[in-house]
Amino acid sequence: MSTSTSTPAAPARARRSDGPRLNFVRVLRSEWIKVTTVPSTVILLASTLVVMVGLAALFAWSLQTGQAQLDSGGPPPQMGPPGEPLPDFGDLARGAPSSGIIFGQLLIASLAVVLIASEWATGMIRSTMVAVPKRVPALLAKNVIAAGVSFLIGAAAALLSYVAAQPILAVEDLDFALTDDKIVASILNTGTYLALIAVISMGIGTLLRNTAGGVVTAVGLFFVLPVIVVNLISGLADWIPDAARFLPTNAGERLVAVAAEEGALTQLEGGLVMAAWALVLLVASLLVTRRRDV
Amino acid sequence: MIEAQGLFKRYGDKTAVNGISFTVHPGKVTGFLGPNGAGKSTTMRMIVGLDTPSAGSVSVNGRRYAEHRAPLREVGALLEAKAFHTKRSAYNHLRAMAATHGIPNSRVHEVIEMTGLGPVAKKRVGGFSMGMGQRLGIAVAMLGDPQTVILDEPVNGLDPEGVQWIRHLARGLAAEGRTVFLSSHLMSEMAMTADHLIVIGRGRIIADAPVSEILAGRGQLRTRVRTDRPSDLLAALGGEGTTSTFLEPDLLEITGPDPRRIAEAALRRQVLVYELTPLQASLEEAYMELTASEVEYSSHDLPLGTQAEGVPEGSRS
Repeated sequence: MSTSTSTPAAPARARRSDGPRLNFVRVLRSEWIKVTTVPSTVILLASTLVVMVGLAALFAWSLQTGQAQLDSGGPPPQMGPPGEPLPDFGDLARGAPSSGIIFGQLLIASLAVVLIASEWATGMIRSTMVAVPKRVPALLAKNVIAAGVSFLIGAAAALLSYVAAQPILAVEDLDFALTDDKIVASILNTGTYLALIAVISMGIGTLLRNTAGGVVTAVGLFFVLPVIVVNLISGLADWIPDAARFLPTNAGERLVAVAAEEGALTQLEGGLVMAAWALVLLVASLLVTRRRDV
Repeated sequence: MIEAQGLFKRYGDKTAVNGISFTVHPGKVTGFLGPNGAGKSTTMRMIVGLDTPSAGSVSVNGRRYAEHRAPLREVGALLEAKAFHTKRSAYNHLRAMAATHGIPNSRVHEVIEMTGLGPVAKKRVGGFSMGMGQRLGIAVAMLGDPQTVILDEPVNGLDPEGVQWIRHLARGLAAEGRTVFLSSHLMSEMAMTADHLIVIGRGRIIADAPVSEILAGRGQLRTRVRTDRPSDLLAALGGEGTTSTFLEPDLLEITGPDPRRIAEAALRRQVLVYELTPLQASLEEAYMELTASEVEYSSHDLPLGTQAEGVPEGSRS
C-alpha cells in the first residue's frame, strides 16, 4: 500500500493551498441556501407579507367606515380605548403602512426561532458547526440573513400596505401621499422593527434550543409582558409603567410611529432601546454557543 | 494525521473519555474499536470540535480542527447518521455545506454520484432510510476532498453492498495516502477493513497496535489436526502446555504447541496425520480478551458509581 501512496496525494495537497476555504461571505451564502430550501420558512415569509397587507387593508376599511359614519351624523364609531376623545381619522390613517406589524411580528418571531431551533431539533446544527467550527460566523450569518429578510419583508409589506390602503381611504378623502412627512421613514422602520424582532427572537431560540419554548418565550416577551404590565401590575409602583416603555415592543412602537407622543420615547430612542435588546441577546447567544457542546 | 493528548471528557460525574492519547497516521485505515458507550463517538466529536475536551487536546494535521482555514478540506467527518434538516433535500443540504467553503456545485454532483444518491438527491432527507442517511453523511464528508476522513460507525444501517462499498472506500482513501479513522463495535468489520487498531473500553485505550500484532499477541496458538489415532498423538506431544478438544472422533483442536511440533511428534510416533491447520485467533477473541481484562482492571480502579455504566453512545443529542 505504501508504495502507491505518494503520487496521488501530492496533487491533492497542491490544490489545497489555493483551493476553496471558509469565509464569511460564503457562510452567508450557505445560510441563505438553508433559508430558501426549507418549505416552512418560505411559507412563513409569504404569509407574513400577505397577512400584513391584508390587515392594513382591513384597518383602512375600518377607518373609512368610521369616517363615513361620522359624516352621516351617526353615532361616533368606537376607535381606541373608550372614554378618550375621538382621534382624527386622517392622523390614524398614516399608521396604515405599519398597521400589519402587530401580526407580522408574531410570524417573524416564529420564523427566527424556527430557523435556529430547528437545527437543534433535527441535528442539522452538528453539520453546521463541523462546517464552521468557530461557530460565531455561522450564527452571525444566520442573524444577518434573518434580519435582512425580515427587513425586506417588513418594508415591502409596509409599502404594499400603503398602496393597498390608498384607494380604500380615498373614498373618504383620508388618503395621503408617500412623500408626506415621516411616511417613508415609517415604511422603512417597519422593516427595521421586524429585523430587530428577528434578532431578538433568534437570540431566544439559540439560548433555548427549542422551537416551542422559543416561540412561547418570544410571544411572552413581545405580547404578554406588555399587557401584564399595563393591565395587571402597573399600579404596584410608579416605576413600573415607566420601565414598561423599555420593553422591546413598546419601544418598537415608537420606532414606527408617525406622530410623537408625550411622555413616550422618541423615534430614535425607541429604535435604540429595541436595538439594545437585540444586541444583548445576540451577544449572549454567541457567547453561549461558542462554548456549548452540540 | 490525528493526535490526541491526554484527552478527557466528563459529563457531570460520568467520565466518557478518560485521559486517552493516540496518533492516527496517514496512509492506512485505523480502526477505533470498542463496545457501545466506550467513548468512541465522544472522542470523534472532540476531534472536530463539537464537544470541548474537559482536559487534554486533539489536533488534526497539526492544528486544532477549528483553527484550519478550510476545515472541510482537512477533515471529512461522518458523525451521526442524521445531522440534517429533515425537510431539506439531500442536494440542497450538500449545496449549503459546500457553499461555506466555496466548493463548486460540480463537486456536489460528484459526491452524489459517488455515494449512489442520484435517484433520491432531490427528495427530502426526512424520508431517507438509515442507509441513505449514511450515504448522505459520507457524501458530506467527501465534499471537501479531505486529507483526513473520520467515520463513526459508517456501516450502520447499510446493506451488504453498501458495507462492501465503505470497505473499498476506506481502503482506497488510505491507499491515496489519506488518514482514515473509522469506528465500529463490530470486530469482524474491523478485521476486514483496518490495518491498525485502537481499542477503547470504558474511556481508556486498551490496545493500540497493528491488527496483525493484536491477533498474534492475543489468544494461544491453536491447530486443527485430523488423525486416526488421536490419543497416540496426544501422548507423543506430552501433557505440558498442551490442551486439546475433540471436535469429531478423528478431529482435534490442539492448543499450545505449534504445527511443526505436532508434525514432529506425529512423525516420531508414526501417526498418520491428514489434516494440520493452524488456526489464527479471531479478532473477536482477541478483543474479548482485551476488554475482559479492562473490565477487571477498572472494577478495582473506579468507584462503583462510575464503572457501573459509561455514557451510552449517541445518548446525547
